[in-house]
Amino acid sequence: MYRSQQLAVKYLAAAIALFGIMTVAGLMSAYYYINPDFLFGILHFNIAKILHIDTMVIWLLMGFMGAIYWFLPEEFGRELVGIRLAEILFYVFFGAVAVVAVVFIVVQYGNSNETALWFINQGRKYVEAPRWAAIGVVVVMAVFAYNVIGTAYVTRRVTGITAVLMIDLVPLLVLYLDAFPAISNMSADLFWWWWLVHLWVEATWEVLIGCIMAWTLMQLLGTSRRIVELWLYIEVALVLGTGILGLGHHYFWIGAPSYWLTIGGLFSALEPLPLLGMVVHAVYDAGTHHMKTTNRPAFYWLLAEAFGNFLGGGVWGFMITLPQVNLYAHGTQWTVSHGHFAFWGAYACGVLSVIYLVVQKLRGLDHLGGTLWKWSFAALNLGLVGMVGALLVSGFAQAFVERAIGGSTHDAFIAGQTNPWFVEGMVTRFIFGLLFAAGYVALVWDLLTIGRRAPVLAAAGAAE
Amino acid sequence: MSEISLLQSALLLGLYVALAGSYGLVYTIARLQDALILHRMACILYGLHGLTAIAIVAWTPLQIGWKGLIVASSAAFLAIPPITWRFLQRTHENEVRG
Repeated sequence: MYRSQQLAVKYLAAAIALFGIMTVAGLMSAYYYINPDFLFGILHFNIAKILHIDTMVIWLLMGFMGAIYWFLPEEFGRELVGIRLAEILFYVFFGAVAVVAVVFIVVQYGNSNETALWFINQGRKYVEAPRWAAIGVVVVMAVFAYNVIGTAYVTRRVTGITAVLMIDLVPLLVLYLDAFPAISNMSADLFWWWWLVHLWVEATWEVLIGCIMAWTLMQLLGTSRRIVELWLYIEVALVLGTGILGLGHHYFWIGAPSYWLTIGGLFSALEPLPLLGMVVHAVYDAGTHHMKTTNRPAFYWLLAEAFGNFLGGGVWGFMITLPQVNLYAHGTQWTVSHGHFAFWGAYACGVLSVIYLVVQKLRGLDHLGGTLWKWSFAALNLGLVGMVGALLVSGFAQAFVERAIGGSTHDAFIAGQTNPWFVEGMVTRFIFGLLFAAGYVALVWDLLTIGRRAPVLAAAGAAE
Repeated sequence: MSEISLLQSALLLGLYVALAGSYGLVYTIARLQDALILHRMACILYGLHGLTAIAIVAWTPLQIGWKGLIVASSAAFLAIPPITWRFLQRTHENEVRG
């Protein structure tokens, strides 16, 4: 095994650990809605929410990096350039994440000054990590880019997938620099901040996961390189074509010029079109292989990605993307519902698929199957769907009572928060969150023990 | 937009895309299995999608431009599965020949 693949295993293990912290922080955030006095004076809701969202960003990022470090040496046919530096930076990265989390939990607040911005919290949603840690992320991503581009340069071998990946690393790195400015004009600040949040999520990350899924399809189903590269070009072009200017749907109500209502609405409304093409592609691939594969967990997580992306991004997104509806729905649990579903479908399922693929190679198993992964798959997906359904109901209540009837006054906010539909939605979300957490425990147990059960699984997989 | 039409519009928009996705899914399975009943089901699902588009145009207070976009998107949703299918088949056939 290449050293970069050993590094990949560390990144994927770290990703799974952070996935667990994200789940716990999410459960805590959900419980605050049911019992607002929970941990009163000890750990406030906003800290739990920061931990939930930031660990989500980091576990997915580590998952992507792990997947790429796994596939790249096979792609280039050699060890990656600068691997020693990458190995050191993994520990720096993981240590920095731990330090930031401890500071969030223990220190929590700072004054509105430069010291707080550098050492406690940047105060910018989703990129709250203090400035020293944000600089660390830039260094890690720069070394990651060096590993990829440097190796391509040394080997003089650039495939279609690595070419797309290398081009994508430039905006991935440059856009993160948007995490740093502290602009006092809120409209201007949000304008640029969305370049990071939206364009990472709906542009550069989409390309990353596209490259990762292309390699996964080649290894999992034996699809030819020519086909996956052709589809990678088409799907990346379509996703970027709609996703980049889809940025405008975040500009509706932040004080940006009104033409963003048209641009944002139009390009966001087009976003489901390429997602439908991806669903057709996934079903075609599954059907032509008669659902047969040597790694059923990876295969099913791959399918879940195509459907989850369409439902979460396409269906849930389309409900709220046109400005006339978005006026009432933005910032409610409705958008939270969309966010959960879309992130799960577009990214988390893909990373889990790669992890099962890596586990199969690591343990040297011909077939991967069994029963436990099915329980984990079912609990995680049912838990997620239950959560987004419950959040949707709560979001409806908020948009209906607080926004449309009440006109967004403070009294209307209270009426929305105490509305029975909202409250019951929050309770239901927590219950399904527990199911999701149970699915996570089953997932970890399965990933840890699947090697020990190898002979049984190999037989079961062969029978399937 | 009234509070009732807000929920009606949003739910119709969600249903509109969900039915387009269902049509694409069933169309692809129908082509894979070459089953007449599934082909018919795909037609029915697209018909329901079309009815949803008509309902959005007729009953929601969305501006005329967005309604035009809904109609145009319906045409695109109809075309995407067969075009994708044909393209997938051609690339796979070329691969086998090549």
